Amino acid sequence: MSGDSLRLTLPFSCFAADSCEATNLYRELRKPLLRYLVCLGLSADEAQDAVQDAFLSLHRHLSTGGSQENIRSWLFRVAHNGARNRQQSYDRRFGKSLDPDLDSISGDATPEQIVLEKEKLRRLRKAMLSLTESERECLLLRAGGLRYREIGEVLEIPTSTVGDTVDRAIKKLAEKCDV
Amino acid sequence: MCNFSGRLVAWMDRELSDNEAADVERHVRVCSECQGRVGAYGEVSRLFVTYCDAAAKGAKTRRKLPRWVPVLSSAVAVAVLLLTLRPASIEQIPVPTRAADASPAMVLETAPRPVKKVHRRQVTPVKTPQATWAFAEPFIQVAIPAEAMFPPGAVPEGLTYIADLSMASDGSIQGLRLQQ
Repeated sequence: MSGDSLRLTLPFSCFAADSCEATNLYRELRKPLLRYLVCLGLSADEAQDAVQDAFLSLHRHLSTGGSQENIRSWLFRVAHNGARNRQQSYDRRFGKSLDPDLDSISGDATPEQIVLEKEKLRRLRKAMLSLTESERECLLLRAGGLRYREIGEVLEIPTSTVGDTVDRAIKKLAEKCDV
Repeated sequence: MCNFSGRLVAWMDRELSDNEAADVERHVRVCSECQGRVGAYGEVSRLFVTYCDAAAKGAKTRRKLPRWVPVLSSAVAVAVLLLTLRPASIEQIPVPTRAADASPAMVLETAPRPVKKVHRRQVTPVKTPQATWAFAEPFIQVAIPAEAMFPPGAVPEGLTYIADLSMASDGSIQGLRLQQ
Protein backbone atom coordinates (compact mmCIF):
# COMPACT_ATOMS: atom_id res chain seq x y z
CA MET A 1 0.00 0.00 0.00
CA SER A 2 1.36 3.38 -0.89
CA GLY A 3 1.70 6.23 1.49
CA ASP A 4 -0.89 8.29 -0.33
CA SER A 5 -3.53 5.64 0.07
CA LEU A 6 -2.62 5.41 3.74
CA ARG A 7 -3.59 9.02 4.09
CA LEU A 8 -6.99 8.25 2.66
CA THR A 9 -7.70 5.11 4.60
CA LEU A 10 -6.56 6.14 8.03
CA PRO A 11 -9.31 7.72 10.05
CA PHE A 12 -7.21 10.78 10.71
CA SER A 13 -9.16 13.97 10.86
CA CYS A 14 -8.98 17.10 12.90
CA PHE A 15 -12.27 16.54 14.68
CA ALA A 16 -10.31 15.58 17.75
CA ALA A 17 -7.10 17.00 19.07
CA ASP A 18 -5.48 13.56 19.21
CA SER A 19 -6.27 12.82 15.59
CA CYS A 20 -5.00 16.23 14.56
CA GLU A 21 -1.76 15.47 16.38
CA ALA A 22 -1.53 12.15 14.56
CA THR A 23 -2.10 13.84 11.22
CA ASN A 24 0.64 16.35 11.89
CA LEU A 25 2.99 13.60 12.96
CA TYR A 26 2.16 11.67 9.84
CA ARG A 27 3.02 14.63 7.63
CA GLU A 28 6.20 15.29 9.53
CA LEU A 29 7.56 11.81 10.08
CA ARG A 30 6.34 9.59 7.27
CA LYS A 31 9.30 10.26 4.99
CA PRO A 32 11.96 10.10 7.71
CA LEU A 33 10.42 6.84 8.92
CA LEU A 34 10.40 5.37 5.43
CA ARG A 35 13.99 6.38 4.87
CA TYR A 36 15.03 4.95 8.20
CA LEU A 37 13.35 1.59 7.57
CA VAL A 38 14.71 1.30 4.04
CA CYS A 39 18.19 2.07 5.33
CA LEU A 40 17.74 -0.64 7.96
CA GLY A 41 17.32 -3.11 5.13
CA LEU A 42 13.58 -3.33 4.44
CA SER A 43 12.33 -3.21 0.90
CA ALA A 44 10.31 -0.20 -0.18
CA ASP A 45 7.03 -2.13 0.11
CA GLU A 46 7.90 -3.62 3.47
CA ALA A 47 8.89 -0.19 4.74
CA GLN A 48 5.55 1.22 3.58
CA ASP A 49 3.74 -1.55 5.42
CA ALA A 50 5.80 -1.04 8.57
CA VAL A 51 5.13 2.71 8.51
CA GLN A 52 1.43 2.08 8.06
CA ASP A 53 1.43 -0.32 10.99
CA ALA A 54 3.29 2.21 13.12
CA PHE A 55 0.77 4.96 12.38
CA LEU A 56 -2.13 2.62 13.02
CA SER A 57 -0.58 1.82 16.39
CA LEU A 58 -0.18 5.53 17.00
CA HIS A 59 -3.83 6.12 16.21
CA ARG A 60 -4.90 3.38 18.60
CA HIS A 61 -2.48 4.67 21.22
CA LEU A 62 -3.85 8.20 21.06
CA SER A 63 -7.50 7.20 20.78
CA THR A 64 -7.21 5.10 23.93
CA GLY A 65 -5.80 7.99 25.87
CA GLY A 66 -2.14 7.05 25.61
CA SER A 67 0.54 9.51 26.59
CA GLN A 68 1.70 12.01 23.98
CA GLU A 69 5.00 12.50 25.73
CA ASN A 70 8.01 11.59 23.57
CA ILE A 71 5.63 10.59 20.83
CA ARG A 72 8.25 10.94 18.09
CA SER A 73 10.58 8.44 19.71
CA TRP A 74 7.57 6.25 20.52
CA LEU A 75 6.64 6.15 16.83
CA PHE A 76 10.21 5.41 15.73
CA ARG A 77 10.48 2.67 18.33
CA VAL A 78 7.27 1.02 17.11
CA ALA A 79 8.48 1.20 13.51
CA HIS A 80 11.92 -0.04 14.50
CA ASN A 81 10.52 -3.03 16.38
CA GLY A 82 8.14 -3.73 13.51
CA ALA A 83 11.05 -3.73 11.10
CA ARG A 84 12.98 -6.12 13.31
CA ASN A 85 10.02 -8.47 13.50
CA ARG A 86 9.60 -8.40 9.75
CA GLN A 87 13.26 -9.12 9.25
CA GLN A 88 13.12 -12.06 11.61
CA SER A 89 9.91 -13.43 10.18
CA TYR A 90 11.31 -13.26 6.66
CA ASP A 91 14.56 -14.76 7.89
CA ARG A 92 16.65 -12.05 6.37
CA ARG A 93 19.80 -10.55 7.67
CA PHE A 94 19.22 -7.29 9.45
CA GLY A 95 21.19 -4.32 8.21
CA LYS A 96 22.16 -5.70 4.83
CA SER A 97 24.24 -3.54 2.57
CA LEU A 98 22.30 -0.80 0.90
CA ASP A 99 22.12 -0.19 -2.79
CA PRO A 100 21.70 3.55 -3.21
CA ASP A 101 20.50 5.01 -6.46
CA LEU A 102 23.51 7.19 -7.17
CA ASP A 103 22.02 8.31 -10.47
CA SER A 104 19.37 10.19 -8.54
CA ILE A 105 22.01 12.67 -7.39
CA SER A 106 21.83 15.68 -9.61
CA GLY A 107 20.27 18.97 -8.62
CA ASP A 108 21.97 22.16 -9.73
CA ALA A 109 25.47 20.69 -9.55
CA THR A 110 27.83 20.65 -12.50
CA PRO A 111 28.81 17.29 -14.03
CA GLU A 112 32.19 17.48 -12.30
CA GLN A 113 30.54 18.07 -8.95
CA ILE A 114 28.17 15.18 -9.52
CA VAL A 115 31.06 12.85 -10.29
CA LEU A 116 32.88 13.98 -7.14
CA GLU A 117 29.75 13.55 -5.05
CA LYS A 118 29.19 10.04 -6.36
CA GLU A 119 32.77 9.15 -5.58
CA LYS A 120 32.35 10.43 -2.04
CA LEU A 121 29.19 8.39 -1.63
CA ARG A 122 30.95 5.27 -2.87
CA ARG A 123 33.65 5.80 -0.28
CA LEU A 124 30.98 6.36 2.35
CA ARG A 125 29.26 3.13 1.39
CA LYS A 126 32.54 1.30 1.83
CA ALA A 127 33.20 3.06 5.12
CA MET A 128 29.77 2.14 6.45
CA LEU A 129 30.76 -1.50 6.37
CA SER A 130 33.11 -0.76 9.26
CA LEU A 131 30.25 0.50 11.46
CA THR A 132 28.62 -1.70 14.04
CA GLU A 133 24.86 -2.22 13.92
CA SER A 134 24.39 0.11 16.88
CA GLU A 135 26.50 2.83 15.28
CA ARG A 136 24.61 2.56 12.03
CA GLU A 137 21.23 2.71 13.76
CA CYS A 138 22.27 5.74 15.82
CA LEU A 139 23.41 7.57 12.70
CA LEU A 140 20.25 6.66 10.82
CA LEU A 141 18.04 7.96 13.61
CA ARG A 142 20.19 11.09 13.88
CA ALA A 143 19.77 11.61 10.14
CA GLY A 144 16.03 11.30 10.72
CA GLY A 145 16.16 14.36 12.95
CA LEU A 146 15.94 12.67 16.35
CA ARG A 147 17.74 14.06 19.38
CA TYR A 148 20.12 11.90 21.36
CA ARG A 149 17.50 11.43 24.07
CA GLU A 150 14.98 10.22 21.50
CA ILE A 151 17.52 7.91 19.88
CA GLY A 152 18.19 6.42 23.29
CA GLU A 153 14.48 5.81 23.78
CA VAL A 154 14.15 4.13 20.41
CA LEU A 155 17.14 1.86 20.89
CA GLU A 156 16.61 1.58 24.65
CA ILE A 157 20.12 2.71 25.54
CA PRO A 158 21.28 5.63 27.72
CA THR A 159 21.59 9.08 26.15
CA SER A 160 25.28 9.26 27.06
CA THR A 161 25.84 6.01 25.16
CA VAL A 162 24.12 7.51 22.15
CA GLY A 163 26.46 10.50 22.27
CA ASP A 164 29.54 8.29 22.47
CA THR A 165 28.26 6.03 19.71
CA VAL A 166 27.45 8.89 17.34
CA ASP A 167 30.79 10.54 18.04
CA ARG A 168 32.66 7.30 17.38
CA ALA A 169 30.71 6.55 14.20
CA ILE A 170 31.18 10.02 12.72
CA LYS A 171 34.91 9.90 13.40
CA LYS A 172 35.14 6.46 11.80
CA LEU A 173 33.38 7.63 8.68
CA ALA A 174 35.41 10.83 8.46
CA GLU A 175 38.62 8.87 8.73
CA LYS A 176 37.61 6.20 6.19
CA CYS A 177 36.11 8.66 3.73
CA ASP A 178 39.12 10.94 4.04
CA VAL A 179 37.06 14.12 3.96
CA MET B 1 44.64 15.43 19.80
CA CYS B 2 42.73 18.39 21.14
CA ASN B 3 40.81 17.91 24.38
CA PHE B 4 37.67 19.32 22.81
CA SER B 5 37.59 16.81 19.96
CA GLY B 6 35.37 14.45 21.94
CA ARG B 7 32.63 17.08 22.22
CA LEU B 8 32.64 18.47 18.71
CA VAL B 9 29.96 16.18 17.29
CA ALA B 10 27.66 16.74 20.26
CA TRP B 11 28.27 20.49 19.94
CA MET B 12 27.37 20.37 16.25
CA ASP B 13 24.21 18.43 17.10
CA ARG B 14 23.30 21.03 19.77
CA GLU B 15 23.31 18.38 22.44
CA LEU B 16 25.54 20.20 24.92
CA SER B 17 24.38 22.40 27.73
CA ASP B 18 24.61 26.15 27.19
CA ASN B 19 27.80 26.49 29.23
CA GLU B 20 29.53 23.58 27.52
CA ALA B 21 28.45 24.80 24.10
CA ALA B 22 29.86 28.24 24.82
CA ASP B 23 33.20 26.72 25.87
CA VAL B 24 33.45 24.62 22.72
CA GLU B 25 32.44 27.54 20.52
CA ARG B 26 35.15 29.75 21.99
CA HIS B 27 37.70 27.02 21.50
CA VAL B 28 36.77 26.27 17.91
CA ARG B 29 37.19 29.93 16.98
CA VAL B 30 40.87 29.77 17.84
CA CYS B 31 41.74 26.11 17.11
CA SER B 32 42.40 25.41 13.44
CA GLU B 33 42.57 21.64 14.08
CA CYS B 34 39.07 21.60 15.54
CA GLN B 35 37.83 23.84 12.74
CA GLY B 36 39.03 21.24 10.28
CA ARG B 37 37.35 18.48 12.27
CA VAL B 38 34.09 20.36 12.44
CA GLY B 39 34.19 20.80 8.66
CA ALA B 40 34.92 17.11 8.13
CA TYR B 41 32.22 15.93 10.53
CA GLY B 42 29.71 18.26 8.92
CA GLU B 43 30.60 16.94 5.49
CA VAL B 44 30.26 13.32 6.64
CA SER B 45 26.89 14.08 8.21
CA ARG B 46 25.68 15.73 5.01
CA LEU B 47 26.96 12.81 2.92
CA PHE B 48 25.23 10.34 5.23
CA VAL B 49 21.86 12.04 4.76
CA THR B 50 22.39 12.17 0.99
CA TYR B 51 23.32 8.50 1.06
CA CYS B 52 20.13 7.61 2.96
CA ASP B 53 18.03 9.55 0.47
CA ALA B 54 19.73 7.78 -2.42
CA ALA B 55 19.21 4.43 -0.71
CA ALA B 56 15.51 5.14 -0.27
CA LYS B 57 15.24 6.07 -3.94
CA GLY B 58 17.23 2.99 -4.87
CA ALA B 59 14.79 0.80 -2.97
CA LYS B 60 11.91 2.28 -4.94
CA THR B 61 13.60 1.88 -8.31
CA ARG B 62 14.58 -1.70 -7.55
CA ARG B 63 10.91 -2.58 -7.31
CA LYS B 64 10.08 -1.16 -10.72
CA LEU B 65 9.55 -3.66 -13.49
CA PRO B 66 9.08 -3.02 -17.18
CA ARG B 67 5.46 -2.43 -18.05
CA TRP B 68 5.28 -5.45 -20.31
CA VAL B 69 6.15 -7.84 -17.48
CA PRO B 70 2.79 -7.75 -15.64
CA VAL B 71 0.91 -7.68 -18.94
CA LEU B 72 2.76 -10.70 -20.27
CA SER B 73 2.44 -12.52 -16.95
CA SER B 74 -1.31 -11.94 -16.92
CA ALA B 75 -1.66 -13.17 -20.49
CA VAL B 76 0.30 -16.33 -19.74
CA ALA B 77 -1.74 -16.98 -16.60
CA VAL B 78 -5.01 -16.58 -18.50
CA ALA B 79 -3.79 -18.87 -21.27
CA VAL B 80 -2.77 -21.56 -18.81
CA LEU B 81 -6.10 -21.31 -17.02
CA LEU B 82 -8.01 -21.60 -20.26
CA LEU B 83 -6.00 -24.61 -21.31
CA THR B 84 -6.35 -26.44 -18.02
CA LEU B 85 -9.87 -25.59 -16.95
CA ARG B 86 -11.70 -25.73 -20.28
CA PRO B 87 -11.30 -29.25 -21.68
CA ALA B 88 -14.43 -28.77 -23.80
CA SER B 89 -12.34 -26.69 -26.16
CA ILE B 90 -10.53 -29.91 -27.11
CA GLU B 91 -13.16 -31.03 -29.50
CA GLN B 92 -11.75 -34.07 -31.08
CA ILE B 93 -8.56 -35.99 -30.86
CA PRO B 94 -7.69 -38.51 -33.55
CA VAL B 95 -7.28 -41.97 -32.16
CA PRO B 96 -5.34 -44.83 -33.72
CA THR B 97 -7.63 -47.55 -34.97
CA ARG B 98 -5.52 -50.33 -33.55
CA ALA B 99 -5.08 -50.86 -29.90
CA ALA B 100 -1.35 -51.55 -30.43
CA ASP B 101 -0.84 -47.98 -31.67
CA ALA B 102 -2.37 -46.46 -28.59
CA SER B 103 -0.26 -44.54 -26.18
CA PRO B 104 0.94 -46.53 -23.16
CA ALA B 105 -0.70 -43.93 -21.00
CA MET B 106 -4.10 -44.88 -22.36
CA VAL B 107 -5.82 -47.84 -20.76
CA LEU B 108 -8.82 -49.31 -22.52
CA GLU B 109 -11.54 -50.76 -20.40
CA THR B 110 -14.55 -52.68 -21.53
CA ALA B 111 -16.78 -51.83 -18.63
CA PRO B 112 -17.77 -48.40 -17.35
CA ARG B 113 -15.35 -47.28 -14.73
CA PRO B 114 -16.55 -45.61 -11.53
CA VAL B 115 -15.53 -42.00 -11.74
CA LYS B 116 -14.25 -40.09 -8.77
CA LYS B 117 -16.91 -37.61 -7.76
CA VAL B 118 -14.67 -35.16 -5.97
CA HIS B 119 -14.39 -31.72 -7.65
CA ARG B 120 -16.27 -32.92 -10.64
CA ARG B 121 -18.27 -30.39 -12.57
CA GLN B 122 -21.01 -31.04 -15.05
CA VAL B 123 -19.95 -29.64 -18.40
CA THR B 124 -22.38 -29.24 -21.24
CA PRO B 125 -20.89 -30.62 -24.45
CA VAL B 126 -20.19 -27.92 -27.01
CA LYS B 127 -21.53 -28.58 -30.46
CA THR B 128 -19.34 -27.41 -33.29
CA PRO B 129 -19.49 -27.88 -37.06
CA GLN B 130 -16.58 -30.34 -36.86
CA ALA B 131 -18.43 -32.64 -34.46
CA THR B 132 -20.73 -34.17 -37.03
CA TRP B 133 -20.84 -37.60 -35.47
CA ALA B 134 -23.28 -38.25 -32.68
CA PHE B 135 -22.66 -40.08 -29.44
CA ALA B 136 -24.80 -42.87 -28.22
CA GLU B 137 -24.64 -44.35 -24.77
CA PRO B 138 -21.08 -44.52 -23.52
CA PHE B 139 -19.67 -47.96 -24.13
CA ILE B 140 -16.07 -47.47 -23.33
CA GLN B 141 -14.30 -45.06 -21.06
CA VAL B 142 -10.67 -44.22 -21.45
CA ALA B 143 -8.80 -43.10 -18.36
CA ILE B 144 -5.94 -40.78 -19.24
CA PRO B 145 -3.75 -39.66 -16.36
CA ALA B 146 -3.60 -35.89 -16.25
CA GLU B 147 0.19 -36.08 -15.87
CA ALA B 148 0.38 -37.57 -19.33
CA MET B 149 -1.46 -34.65 -20.90
CA PHE B 150 -0.25 -31.62 -18.97
CA PRO B 151 2.92 -30.54 -17.20
CA PRO B 152 3.15 -31.56 -13.55
CA GLY B 153 1.16 -29.25 -11.34
CA ALA B 154 -0.81 -27.69 -14.21
CA VAL B 155 -3.97 -29.64 -13.41
CA PRO B 156 -5.57 -29.37 -9.97
CA GLU B 157 -5.54 -32.53 -7.97
CA GLY B 158 -8.71 -34.55 -8.25
CA LEU B 159 -9.59 -33.38 -11.76
CA THR B 160 -10.80 -36.22 -13.96
CA TYR B 161 -11.52 -36.39 -17.67
CA ILE B 162 -13.93 -38.74 -19.36
CA ALA B 163 -13.37 -39.79 -22.94
CA ASP B 164 -16.39 -40.64 -25.07
CA LEU B 165 -15.55 -42.90 -28.00
CA SER B 166 -17.43 -43.16 -31.25
CA MET B 167 -17.13 -46.67 -32.67
CA ALA B 168 -18.14 -48.05 -36.02
CA SER B 169 -19.99 -51.30 -36.49
CA ASP B 170 -16.72 -53.14 -37.22
CA GLY B 171 -15.30 -52.01 -33.87
CA SER B 172 -12.97 -49.37 -35.21
CA ILE B 173 -12.81 -46.08 -33.32
CA GLN B 174 -13.94 -43.11 -35.32
CA GLY B 175 -13.67 -40.33 -32.83
CA LEU B 176 -12.97 -39.36 -29.29
CA ARG B 177 -14.23 -36.51 -27.19
CA LEU B 178 -13.00 -35.44 -23.79
CA GLN B 179 -15.18 -34.01 -21.12
CA GLN B 180 -14.55 -33.12 -17.55
